[in-house]
Amino acid sequence: MNMLAFLKKSKYVLGLNARNLNYLRPSNSLRAIRIADNKLLTKKILRKASLPVLQNYGLIRQIKELKEFDWSTLPSTFTLKPNCGLGGQGILVVYGRKKKFPYPWIKADGRPVNIKDLENHILNILEGTFSLTSLPDIAFFEERIKLLKLFKPYVYRGIPDIRIIIYNSVPVMAQLRLPTKESSGRANLHQGGIGVGIDLGTGITTTAIHRGRLIEYVPGARLLLKGLQIPEWKEILKLAIQAQIVSRLNFLGVDIAIDREKGLIISELNARPGLSIQIANLSPLADRLLRVKGLKIKNPLKGAKISQDLFGGEVEETLEEVSGKKVIGINEPIEIPDRQSGKYPTMAKIDTGAYRTTISTNLARQLGLNEAMRYKKVRGALGLEERPIIEFSFILDKKLVSTEAFIADRSQLKYDIIVGRKDLKQFLVDPSKNIFMSQRVLEKVKEKRGIK
Amino acid sequence: MSVITQYMVNQGVPQETVILILMLPIVATIIAFGRQVIGIRGFGIYTPLIITFAFLATGLKYGLAIFIVILLVGTLMRFLVRYIRLLYLPRMAIVLTAVALAILAIFLEGAYSGRKGLIASSIFAVLIMITLVEKFVVVQIERGAREAIILTIETLFLSIICYWVAASVWLRNLVFIYPFWIIFGAVIINILLGKWTGLRLFEYWRFREVIKRVDLPEKK
Repeated sequence: MNMLAFLKKSKYVLGLNARNLNYLRPSNSLRAIRIADNKLLTKKILRKASLPVLQNYGLIRQIKELKEFDWSTLPSTFTLKPNCGLGGQGILVVYGRKKKFPYPWIKADGRPVNIKDLENHILNILEGTFSLTSLPDIAFFEERIKLLKLFKPYVYRGIPDIRIIIYNSVPVMAQLRLPTKESSGRANLHQGGIGVGIDLGTGITTTAIHRGRLIEYVPGARLLLKGLQIPEWKEILKLAIQAQIVSRLNFLGVDIAIDREKGLIISELNARPGLSIQIANLSPLADRLLRVKGLKIKNPLKGAKISQDLFGGEVEETLEEVSGKKVIGINEPIEIPDRQSGKYPTMAKIDTGAYRTTISTNLARQLGLNEAMRYKKVRGALGLEERPIIEFSFILDKKLVSTEAFIADRSQLKYDIIVGRKDLKQFLVDPSKNIFMSQRVLEKVKEKRGIK
Repeated sequence: MSVITQYMVNQGVPQETVILILMLPIVATIIAFGRQVIGIRGFGIYTPLIITFAFLATGLKYGLAIFIVILLVGTLMRFLVRYIRLLYLPRMAIVLTAVALAILAIFLEGAYSGRKGLIASSIFAVLIMITLVEKFVVVQIERGAREAIILTIETLFLSIICYWVAASVWLRNLVFIYPFWIIFGAVIINILLGKWTGLRLFEYWRFREVIKRVDLPEKK
């Protein structure tokens, strides 16, 4: 019975056979595919349609041109690419240039690159070593994209890009591709890059995969992958549709990168987009493609709107789910478990201006928590003083928080406890929430937070 | 139906030749089936096909041994040659030279310990396997070591299956007696395979997390 459901559900997933037979072949003409496989030609037609692409610094078609190439025209940072490269192969990125003779450029791993090395690499490109068909190829120098600050913690060198699969002028699925150390700065998933699903409605990341497996954090870092808001989301969708219309490929993967200064840039068109985007989004494609089939899309704006409406998830309603953090207000009911496994309910003030949580001397004594673990000097409004620190836990919005809190005399103050930002890492604070609490509202909040 | 094959054999065409030619569509169909329905990618259709026939010529034991030696030496050489920067073709020529030397060493060992089956094996089968080293090295360069290993194992697996099928006495008799039925059958199966749009067997595994989370529309 379960097996039957599994088989039935599998019909919604797009496999390679169906992609090739039902979508690539009928939708894409050979001529258009040839353009997409050729980076220079792609850039030419996109530029002609005044869509943003990266600037070329020079190209080398033959060995003769290599010999005559004027190396002084190259800036200190650029990328060197084969025209018909496959899966990010053969791309060389230099990040800067040494000021000492012989003025070598610097690679991602800090190693120097001399003109001799560049010549060698270009010769290999011309030979067709990295090309899709192993036929002789063209090498070209391209401007290097400058990494957006937002993405900096998430990537290991290289530039992340946003892959959008478009069918019939409607974006049907999107993912953020992050380069890792393993993928040596390339964003391609089968090289070891991370794929992060994006909600089409809002541009907020959802689930992520690495090497075909679901992950939550950036490998080797405590950095949550979901809940990241991609900037200019609607513009990205519109740009992708414009690129698709220009390319004349009806089923297409558009790669868009974001430059710190220039903004959105179309980095590549892909006539055979990979299918693991379905795993990154935990969502099947076949069903979405069928829903888009046969629609008449008048303009990119319309296409983006349809995409957002059809395939946008319930992300807006579940901000908490996406960010993995609870949204709390300024005044919150909390419970403090005491030694006798009972719970002491009280009201706490959420204070992001304070670093540490502070509990009143009276309450600490009442709960038997007044054994100071250590003391710490603080510079407060009253000048330098030494305050005792105690360890205890409290439950805020159903989450258990372990804290090291100050004890202070709060007998003149309204709240027995204020919660500082050190203990608020699992929460988002909405300052417009729970400011004044009538008894009725308080009851409601308590009920919601599971406190009797 | 076997009139034509019988006639050819009577006129002096070796029976083995006729059988191998007729085996080709069957082996090709198995490889196509492996790709489209099961999801074994391998290196296209040529490589597993040619390895199968090389195995048929050398026998599975020696064929596998030669194959593995070629792979190991080829890969090792690739890493050694990488440090002296060379252009692609000369680099590959050096790798091929090393592999040829290794094969020579194998034959030397075969001659020394009197392995008749090895030293008598068809030189063309061995030559073909040597040239395959380019294919493996190219995949290593293009897709990375990890992917290359997976693809190589898949290719080898496919070739061994095809070898067993093509070496079965029952099937050899069958293609000899009903050559046209076999060819006709292969074409029909391949047309069906070419129209197959269902998920490949491996894709059920690859997309299992996605499939689990599909919401079936509720029936009314």
